[in-house]
Amino acid sequence: MRLIRFLILFPFFLFPHADDMYLLKGGNVFLPNVGFVKKDILVDEGLIISIEDEIDSSVSENIINSDGKYITPGLIVFSALGLIEIGALPETIDIRSETYNAGFNPSDAFNPFSQAVRLNRSKGVTSTVNIPSASGYFAGLLSYTKINNGLKQKKQGPLGLLTSYGQSYDDSRAANLMFIEDLFSYVRNGYDSTKADQIQFFYGTDNEYRFTKRDLEAIQKVINKEMPLVVRVNKATDILKVLEMAKSENINLVLWEANEGHMVAEEISKAEVPVIMDPLNNIPGSFDSLNATYENVSRLHIAGVKLAFYYDQSSGAHNAYLATQSAGNAVALGVSYNEALASVTSNPAEIFDIKNVGVIAIGYDADLSIWDNDPLELMTQVETVFIDGSKQDLSNRYDELTERYTKEEELPNSYRSR
Amino acid sequence: MIKKLTVLLSLSILYGCGSDVPSIFKPETESSAKNFENDIHGTYASTYSPLKSKNIVIRNATIFDGNGNKFLDYDLHFSDGKIKNLGVDLEVQGAREIDATGKYVTPGIVDNHSHMGVYPAPGVRTSSDGNEATNPVTAEVWAEHSVWSQDPQYKLALAGGVTTFHVLPGSANLFGGRGVTLKNVSANTVPDMKFPDAPHSLKMACGENPKRVYRSRGPSTRMGNVAGYRKAWIGAENHKKRLERDPEHRDIKNETLVGVLDGKILVHNHCYRADEMATMINISQEFGYKVSTFHHGVEAYKIADLLADEGICAALWADWWGFKHEAYDMTIANIAIVDQARGGTGCAIVHSDSASGIQRLNQEAAKALAAGRRAGFEISEARAMTWLTKNPAKSLGILDKTGTLDLGKDADLVIWDGNPFSVYTKAEQVYIDGALTFDKASNFMPHTDFDIGIKEWEEK
Repeated sequence: MRLIRFLILFPFFLFPHADDMYLLKGGNVFLPNVGFVKKDILVDEGLIISIEDEIDSSVSENIINSDGKYITPGLIVFSALGLIEIGALPETIDIRSETYNAGFNPSDAFNPFSQAVRLNRSKGVTSTVNIPSASGYFAGLLSYTKINNGLKQKKQGPLGLLTSYGQSYDDSRAANLMFIEDLFSYVRNGYDSTKADQIQFFYGTDNEYRFTKRDLEAIQKVINKEMPLVVRVNKATDILKVLEMAKSENINLVLWEANEGHMVAEEISKAEVPVIMDPLNNIPGSFDSLNATYENVSRLHIAGVKLAFYYDQSSGAHNAYLATQSAGNAVALGVSYNEALASVTSNPAEIFDIKNVGVIAIGYDADLSIWDNDPLELMTQVETVFIDGSKQDLSNRYDELTERYTKEEELPNSYRSR
Repeated sequence: MIKKLTVLLSLSILYGCGSDVPSIFKPETESSAKNFENDIHGTYASTYSPLKSKNIVIRNATIFDGNGNKFLDYDLHFSDGKIKNLGVDLEVQGAREIDATGKYVTPGIVDNHSHMGVYPAPGVRTSSDGNEATNPVTAEVWAEHSVWSQDPQYKLALAGGVTTFHVLPGSANLFGGRGVTLKNVSANTVPDMKFPDAPHSLKMACGENPKRVYRSRGPSTRMGNVAGYRKAWIGAENHKKRLERDPEHRDIKNETLVGVLDGKILVHNHCYRADEMATMINISQEFGYKVSTFHHGVEAYKIADLLADEGICAALWADWWGFKHEAYDMTIANIAIVDQARGGTGCAIVHSDSASGIQRLNQEAAKALAAGRRAGFEISEARAMTWLTKNPAKSLGILDKTGTLDLGKDADLVIWDGNPFSVYTKAEQVYIDGALTFDKASNFMPHTDFDIGIKEWEEK
């Protein structure tokens, strides 16, 4: 399909000047399995259609001079972007549910006009894997949303079912594991979605855990390997338990956080289970993370574990773009540069099988960020962002506030037009 | 560069500018039956004793002196716990030589906003000791009496170049209690960590937190908050008057507040919004005390000129925002705008308020510096280094002892393996009072008792 589209478009090389055609000229382009190479990129109808050492400037009127710049796939972040506006105001938060748990997918609540979305876009983020936070045994479904300007965003998913395993205030972790096994067994063997009396599953002494049809269907998708179970887990022994459980249930698994992952890096690698983590998490913040260390990321990397990074201090959404800071630190901690950059671009797409994004390659969505320097460095600035081949408006409230308070004008700033 | 705000005009009308406070509000004679400040905390005074100092000359380093200067290929000599000399090709007898070609040397980082020790790791309920959230006014509590000397987080901050940190009570209360400045050393008692002769601080908090915590009993509004501060200060004034006729009278809460009125305890005020910071300045003028530093001022840039005029520091994050409504009007240029106010007379500080952030304050400064340049300010890296060293030391009243590499000061310093404003740079060695306390190459650092027997893996 992609190839056909490319072939159909090909004649436009000869007859250029399509409105949405862009030629990115002379940038250092981050190519999969290669790293930065000086290339020209041609973008048309939302896709990357050519990557060459030299593409003739006559093909497009829209030339983005990228000499000395760095071009990467747009960042894919793990966040509640567009789903949290202000952390302390529940009415501005859409990642929670009391009604649903496993089947809860917050992506329909995505707010493209969130100030956090605007800021993150201006910082090189082009899409987000939405993180749910329902109450109960499961937090809900991960899904993928582009964060382009405008009313409509492309979405994919559900990508995975999020849960956590480890310390809790009530039941033993052993009991939690037993429950998951029982629930999976029920969905696998006893559940029949066509029978009215089985569309809900109650559990607990007071039936306090309710699984609706949607919730059970989400679990069914995990059992059918249509999507992975994503488990937030830290303690090394718990990680082993979760690996065992995934093996015996024959489901796909993704680990989340994994502060003690370094202690069982070989086992994680052998099971070919990827890890979503923040390399900066080195504090023994709980009794499940007593062996947290800066060495976590390099040990997992050396063991061959596929990694993707998020920035834990992002307040859920607002500073999700700082995944680049986590990646830069990962390099200082022993991860190869290309792998660190892949961990905030292509690896998230690979881990969750998100289609057509995450790498700069012919036929892929033209989600691109252009940086004035090394994208993992702290002082680097984003200059241009494309999402689906469309050049994004990077203006945001924060730049405007800065301008408002640094400009000398006759009237007090409240009386000036924006 | 920054527009003078209308709020400043109204202040001038009411009270006059800066030090021109009507005389009835000026501090009266100092008095207190039990003034811990006269002997810097009395029986609770610092018992810190440094490790044995090295006698070292660091050669050919790029040096940020903390005063805003950068020296290329300079040498630094320290011994007996003090900075002895800074220059080119220093002639020193008997000192160990360290070749720091390609490396950077800075003063030790000072974080003036930490909750390490009072919110230690692991973060369990039984050691959550930072907020005495039982009354909106708890000026009587001292953070140092909550600090857990075995918190495993100190050494992580040390590996990030932090040699001094200030532990504050939390922000649940209008008056949260006294904060304490600690040397980042491992010790079994808190007085053994206390920075010698560092004044206490008083933690105050504006805005959402106190009115949320006390909404059922009050204060439940921002005006309720302000009434609460003023009521407490009036109480302190009354206590002070009573001491004139009854010098033996004890009042643990008012002893702290009178310490502020006497200028011996420094006010560190959690306050996000610009209008609220201006109100807090009004209050300080009514009762004749000075605010040392506003903390977390996400909107400090809106009153940067006012802060510069008043000589008040702003301790800020580079980019935190959005976690609450009063943290919504963020700009990453905040620190730079505060710094550059009134011809560069502002006092900007990068603080952490986070056991994670404190490990990478140099990185936070780099982001703030980049945003400042993007906003059009010409700011050097050497200047940005003052946000981490000189300015926080000034805000804590310890600039005569640390915060710069001036001759005679404590030899608190960091050798970095590269430019500290790069994400790839790590602290290589950290010295406190001339003693090596962290060495990356040999993995030398202190370990608290909590670390003993915990680790189930081998370090590289």
